[in-house]
Amino acid sequence: MLTAIREVQIPLLAAMLLGACAAKIWRALRAPADTGRTDPAGLFPAHLQRPIMILVFAAELGLGLGLIGTALKFGGTRPALPATIARTGTALFFLIAVAVLNETRQRRPASGCGCFGELSGTPIGLRTIARPGLLCASAVATLGLPPLRMPSSSAEAELWLAVLAFELALLAFLSPELGEIMVRLGYSEPCELRRVPVGRTMTALQASSPWRKYAGQISAAPPSDVWREGCWRFVVYPGRERGRQVDIIFAVYLQSRRPVVRAAVLDADTDEVLGPAGTRESAVI
Amino acid sequence: MRHLADIPRWCDDVTDSASPARFARRSLLKAAVLGLRDESDFSVIAAGNGDAGAAERPLIYTVTGRILDVSPHIVVLLTEHGEQRFPLAASAEAWRGGPVPPAALRQGDHVVIRRRLPGAPVIDRIWAEIGRVTGTIIERDEPPGLLVDEGPAKGRRIVLIGPQATGRIQVRFPRLEPGYLIDVIGLKQDGYLQALIPATSQPPYRAGHPPVAPMVSGHVPDPASGTAVWHEPGEEPENLLGLAYPALDPETSCERAAAATSACSGDLHAVEEYAVDPHATGSGCVRLPYLSVGSLVRLRNDCAERARVVPVTSCGATARLFCDRCVTCGTSRKGRIADLTMAAFVELGGALEVGCFNATMMIGS
Repeated sequence: MLTAIREVQIPLLAAMLLGACAAKIWRALRAPADTGRTDPAGLFPAHLQRPIMILVFAAELGLGLGLIGTALKFGGTRPALPATIARTGTALFFLIAVAVLNETRQRRPASGCGCFGELSGTPIGLRTIARPGLLCASAVATLGLPPLRMPSSSAEAELWLAVLAFELALLAFLSPELGEIMVRLGYSEPCELRRVPVGRTMTALQASSPWRKYAGQISAAPPSDVWREGCWRFVVYPGRERGRQVDIIFAVYLQSRRPVVRAAVLDADTDEVLGPAGTRESAVI
Repeated sequence: MRHLADIPRWCDDVTDSASPARFARRSLLKAAVLGLRDESDFSVIAAGNGDAGAAERPLIYTVTGRILDVSPHIVVLLTEHGEQRFPLAASAEAWRGGPVPPAALRQGDHVVIRRRLPGAPVIDRIWAEIGRVTGTIIERDEPPGLLVDEGPAKGRRIVLIGPQATGRIQVRFPRLEPGYLIDVIGLKQDGYLQALIPATSQPPYRAGHPPVAPMVSGHVPDPASGTAVWHEPGEEPENLLGLAYPALDPETSCERAAAATSACSGDLHAVEEYAVDPHATGSGCVRLPYLSVGSLVRLRNDCAERARVVPVTSCGATARLFCDRCVTCGTSRKGRIADLTMAAFVELGGALEVGCFNATMMIGS
C-alpha cells in the first residue's frame, strides 16, 4: 500500500510541473512583454521579474523531465544519483514555493499565485499554499524509491488507480484554477459584451417580418443611422408614408438565433409615432 | 433588397458638425421603438432637447469662460452668452495651481466656475487654467519632461514636472518611464501641461497589459460602480455636458481613428514602441455594455450624492487602461466607468483638482 502511494507520486509530480510550464508558455505567447505582474514575481524589481519567471519556468521544465527521465532507467533496487537529485530538487522547489506564496499573500494580498499562468489569478489563500506543501511532501515520499515498474497484478493496478484518484481529488480541492477552467468551458459572453458585426444585424433584420412590412416605405437604400445600445442595435431608414417624410426605425436584439426585431415609424418633422411602437417587455439593454 | 455594400462605414464623432442632431435623436428613436417614451426620464430629456443636440444639455451649476475682470466680490466672464457678471460668495475659493484668493486670478484666464445653487448667480468655486494629462508615457527627458500618448482620439501631450512637484507626483507615480501610465493635473501652459498634482495612483502594470476583467454570467450588472474622472475639452465645446465612454460599439464608432497629429515636433519613430492602442488591450477591469455616441446614462456622484443623465459624447477607451480606484469618499470599486467633460464633472459636484469621484452608473432603463 505504502509503496503504491509512493510510486504514484512521480508521474503526478511530473504532470503538475509540465502542466505549469505549458500554462506559462501560453501566457507568455499571449502577453510577451508583460512585466507588470500580479503574481509572486511582482515582489521583485521590474527588471528582475522576467528573468525570475524564466528561471521558474526552466526549473519546472527541468524537474518535470528529470522526474520522468530518471523514473525507469537508473538504479537497480535502489535509486541512482540522478533520480535522487531530481526528486530532492522537486521537494526543494515546492518548499520554496510554499514560502514565496506565503510571503506574497502577506505583502500583496490581491495577487494570484501565477502557478498556471492566467488561470491562477485568484488571490492566494490557504488552499493555494497547501497545494505546494502537499506536492513537497509527495516529492519527499519518492526519495529512496527504486525505479518504477508496471503493476504485477490487477489488484495492484486497482490500488494504483485508487491512490491516483484520491490524490487528484485532493489536488483539485486545493486548486482554484479548476473553478476558473470550468467557468471558461461553460462561458457564454452576455449579449451586451458580444461583438456583433453590422452585416449580421442587417441579415437578421432583412429576414424578419417587420422588415417585410415596412420595406416598401423605405425611400433610400442606405440607412440614415446605425447604432448600438447594449443588446439592441438600431437601424434607421428614411421613408415616406402618405406623402409625409418619416423615419422607419428597427431595433434588432443581438442574439444569434431568431432575434427579436421591433419597428416603429416616426414623423420626421414632428416626431409623432405613426407606426407600432414596442411594448416594454423586451426593453432590456 | 438592401445589400451590405449599401451600409456606409459608420463613424460616430460628436465633433462632426453634421452629427449632433443625429445623436440627440437617437434616444428619442430608441424610446419610440422600444416603447419607453413614457417611463424613462432618459427619453424625456432627449425629447426636450431633440433639436439642441446631445452636446448642449443645460448646465445648472457650471459656467465656463474667460476672465475679463475680477475683484474680491465679483468676477466678469466672457462666456458663450457674452459678458456675464457673477457675484462671489464670501466663502468662495479659487484654484490656480493651488488654492488662491479669487482676486489673484488674472485677466484672460480660462476658468470653470461652480454656482452655489442651481441657476443662481452667486459662485463658490473657480478653477483657472486647470488641465489634465492621462495616458501612456512614451518618452522621458531630464529634468522630468514627459511625452504622453492620450490615445488615438486625443493624440500626444507634453508634461513638465517642476522640482517643487516632483516628490509629490513620484509618491503616487513612482515609474515615470516609457510604457507606464500617468494621470496628472496641473496648469495649462503654452504647448504643455505643468504637472502639479497626481490625479490617482499609478497602476503597477505596463500600460499595454491591464488586468483582465472577471467574466460575467447572465447580463452585465446594472448599475455599474467604479471611478469617474474628467478630461480636457480638446475639440469638444467647453461647456459640453457629456462623457467619454470606455466601451463604444467597435462596429459603429470611430474607435480606431487614426492617431491624432502629435502636439510636438520631432521624430516619433523611436517612441512608437511604447504607444498603446487602448482598443487592442481588451475591456479593462470593468465589463461595460457596448453603447454609442448619443446613448444616455444616469451617473451618480456617490461622494456628493448628486446624479444626472449624461449623454455619451466621445470614445473613452483610454480609461480602460486604468484599473485603479478612487478614494475621494471611501474606496471605489476598481476601474474607470466614465471620463467626464470638465463641465459635467463639476456639474455632478466633483472638484477638478481632486481628479475623480466614486460613481455609480445606470445604463439601462
